[in-house]
Amino acid sequence: MSRLKKILYVTASLVVFVTVFILDVIRHAVSFDLDGILYIREGAIVCALFLLYLYIRAAHAERPSGIPKNIGKLLIYSLLVLFLASLVSFVGRGTTAPDGTITPPQAALTSLLSVVFGVVLGLFSISVLLTIKDLLLHKRRKGTKRNFIIYVVVLLLSSLTVLPLIPAELSVISSILFAVAVVMIVVNSFKQNWIVYLSRREKLYSIVYSALLFLTFIGLSLLITQHPVARALDTFHLPLRNFAQLNAIFGAVYFGMAFISTLFHLPTAEVYERKQSELTSLHNLSRLVTQVFDFSDLVNTVTAMTLEVVGARSAWLELIRERGTNGQVAVDVVSNRNISPEQIELITASEESSLRKYVLDSKRALLIDDIRNDRRTKHITKSGVTVGSLLSVPLVSHGEPIGFLHATKDFEFGFDQDDIDVMTTFADHVTIAIENSKLIAKSLERERYQQEMMVAQQMQKRLLPQRLPKHPSLQIAAVSEPSLEVGGDYYDFVQLKGDRLGVVVGDVSGKGVSAAFYMAEVKGIFQSLSKICDSPRELLLRANQSLVESLEHKAFISLLYGIIDIPKGTLTLARAGHCPMIHVSGLHAQMIRPTGIGLGLTHEQIFEETIQEAEIQLQKDDLCIFYTDGLNESRNAEGEEFGFERLVQAALGARFLSAEQIKETILTEIRNHTGDSAYGDDMTLVVIKWLGHGEG
Amino acid sequence: MSEFKIQHRTGEGVNVIDLKGYLDAHTAPELENVLQKLIEEKKFNIVVNCKDLSYISSAGLGVFMAYIEDVRKNRGDIKLTNMSPKVYNVFDLLGFPILYEIYKDEQDAIKKFQDARSVQN
Repeated sequence: MSRLKKILYVTASLVVFVTVFILDVIRHAVSFDLDGILYIREGAIVCALFLLYLYIRAAHAERPSGIPKNIGKLLIYSLLVLFLASLVSFVGRGTTAPDGTITPPQAALTSLLSVVFGVVLGLFSISVLLTIKDLLLHKRRKGTKRNFIIYVVVLLLSSLTVLPLIPAELSVISSILFAVAVVMIVVNSFKQNWIVYLSRREKLYSIVYSALLFLTFIGLSLLITQHPVARALDTFHLPLRNFAQLNAIFGAVYFGMAFISTLFHLPTAEVYERKQSELTSLHNLSRLVTQVFDFSDLVNTVTAMTLEVVGARSAWLELIRERGTNGQVAVDVVSNRNISPEQIELITASEESSLRKYVLDSKRALLIDDIRNDRRTKHITKSGVTVGSLLSVPLVSHGEPIGFLHATKDFEFGFDQDDIDVMTTFADHVTIAIENSKLIAKSLERERYQQEMMVAQQMQKRLLPQRLPKHPSLQIAAVSEPSLEVGGDYYDFVQLKGDRLGVVVGDVSGKGVSAAFYMAEVKGIFQSLSKICDSPRELLLRANQSLVESLEHKAFISLLYGIIDIPKGTLTLARAGHCPMIHVSGLHAQMIRPTGIGLGLTHEQIFEETIQEAEIQLQKDDLCIFYTDGLNESRNAEGEEFGFERLVQAALGARFLSAEQIKETILTEIRNHTGDSAYGDDMTLVVIKWLGHGEG
Repeated sequence: MSEFKIQHRTGEGVNVIDLKGYLDAHTAPELENVLQKLIEEKKFNIVVNCKDLSYISSAGLGVFMAYIEDVRKNRGDIKLTNMSPKVYNVFDLLGFPILYEIYKDEQDAIKKFQDARSVQN
C-alpha cells in the first residue's frame, strides 16, 4: 500500500470519528432525533473502521516479526485497552448521577471517552483477528482458512444484526449467530500448530504471554458487558460491542488453549531444536565446499561446526602426518576450539595406547561416556582435565584414515546415538572437503612449478649460442636438447684473437634444475677464462680451480675444449673427463682422447699432472664431432645403447654432406635406434666441417 | 629397463657392496643410503663389486665422489672391482682410475685392505 493511501485512510477515518464526536456532543446538548442522521453515523463508523482495518493489515504485512514477539505486542495492546476500559468504567460511574441526569460538560467528556475507547477497541479487535489469523495459518491444513473465514463472516453478521436500524424481532437471529460464532471460536482454537516450531526459549515466552493474554481477554470480555463500558460502547457504535466481545472471547479461548498446548509441547522442545540444528548444520555443510580454497578457513569452520552439530564444549581436528609400523600415529592438530594443545595431548595420549589407536583399529567412532571411570581413559583423571565425555570419529578417505575429529562435553554421558550418527556423517563431508582442498593446493602448486620451469627453460635456451659463428673455412651445426625442461648440457663458441675459434661442449653430472644452475656457472667461467687462457689445457686447469671450490661433493662437470686455429688449419684439444672428440678424415675416423679428469673431482695437483693436450692437423672436409654422453648412451626399448660405433659409422656415412645434414643424419640414426622411447638424458651434438682455405 | 639392486655383505673386516643393473639418477639415492649407513656405523673399508652393474650414469659416479672424502679421512677407502669393459670405459673417461683403486677381482681389493691393516698393526 502506498504511503499516500495510508495517510488518506487514516485521515478519512479520523475525520469520521471527529465528526461523530461533535455530533454526539451536539446531540446531548440539543435533543433531536433524526433517524437519517443516525443511519449515516453508523454507516460512516463502519466505513471508517474498515479503512483502519485496511491500514492495519498493510502495516502488519510490512513488518513481519517472530511469533513470540507478535503475541507480546498483542499483550501490550490488550493491557492498554484493559486500562482504558477501566478508565471508562471509572469515569462512567463517577459522571452518572444517581438520578441519571448528565450535565453538558460531563456529556462532552463521556462522548469523547466513548469515541476514543470505541476506536481503540475497534483497532485492538482487528489486531487480535489478524494476529490469530497469522497463528492459524502458520501451518495450513485443509479447512484451516475456511474455518477462520466462516468465523469472520459469522462475526460480522452477528455484529450487523445489532445495528439499531435492524428491527428488534431479529434479535433471535443475532443470538443464534453469536452462538455459531462461539462454536467457530472453539473450532478454530484447536489449531495450535505454530507452537511446534518454536524453540524452547520461545516456548517459554509464549507460555507466559498466552497465560497473561488469556487473563486480560477474560477481563476485557467481562468489562465490555459491564454497565459503564457497555453503555459507552453502545452510545458510540452498537455493533462494536458485539464485535469486540466475540473477539475477546476468541482471544481468551485461543490463548487459553495455546497456553495448555505449549505446556504440553515444552518437553519435546529440545528434540525439535536438535532437529532444527541438524538441519542448519547440513545446510552449513555446503559452506565447507566453498571454503576448500583456504585450508585454514576450512579446518576452523569444521571445528566450529562440530561444536554446533553435537552441542559440544570443545572440539579439535587432527590430520595424520605419518603412521608408524606399530599402529602409532603422528598427528597435527590443525584446528582446536575451547581446548589447548596441551590438554589435547593429555586427553589423547597415554603410556599404553593412545585413543587414536582405538579409533584406527575399529575405523569407527569412539565414544567414551564417562571419562573418569573408563578403562581406556584412566590416564586422564590424574591430569585434572575437566572433560566428562568424549566422542572421536575417524576421517576415512578411500579406506585410509587421514585424521580424526574429536568433540568433548563437560558432563558424563553427553553424547547419544544421534550424535554419533551426525558426527560420522559430518566427518565424511569433512574428509571430502579436506581432500578437495589438498588436491586444489597441489594442482595450483604444480601449475606454478610448471610455469617456473617454462621460465627456466627459456632462460637456459638463452645461455646457449643464439646464432652459430660463420666463417668461409668452417661449416658449423649444433643442437642441444634437455631430457627434462632444463638440463646440464652446454656448448658454446668463442671468437679468439688471431682468427681462432674456441669450441666447447660440457656436461654437468645429474639432470634437471641443479644441473642447469651449474651449467650457467660453467658458461660464466668459460666466457671469462676463454679470453685470457691461450690454450685449452690452461683453461681447463683454471676452470677446475674455480669449480672444485663451488661444486657440491657429488657433482662434477666434464668438458671438451678445442681451439681451431684457422690460418694454421689445426685443432688443439683438451679434455676434462668428457667423451672423446670424433675426428673424421677421409675414410678414417678417430677418437681423440687426451687424458684428463672431470672438473670438480680433484684438487689441482692431480688434475694438472693428468691433463694433456692433443693437436691435429685438419685436412679439407675433415669433420670434428663434439657431443655429450646422452647421445651415445641413447637406449632402445631393449636397453641397448646407440654406442660409439654407430655414431662413428653414421658420421662416416654422411661425411660428404654439409655439417647441418650430417647433424640431421646422426639425429635420425639415433631416433631410428631408440624408436618410440624418449631420449634418456640431455643430448648435445656439435658438428664442424673444415672446408680448408678455399684454395681448392 | 632392468632394475637396480644393492646387496651388502660383510666379511673379513671389509664391507662389500654388490651392484646390479642400472645406476643412474633414479637409483643413485639407494646407493647413497647404503654408503651413508656404513659411514655412520664407522665401517670405512668398502669394496664395491660392479660385476653385475650394466650401466652407470654421471649421477651414479657422483655418489662415490660424495663419500670418498669422508671415508679416506677415516683411513678407509672405497675400492671398485669386477667392472665390465663398458662400465670401466665410463669410469675411465672421467678419469676415475686416477682417483680410485679399481681391481679386476674382489679378492684383490679385500687383500689390499688386509695388507694395509697388518702394516698398521
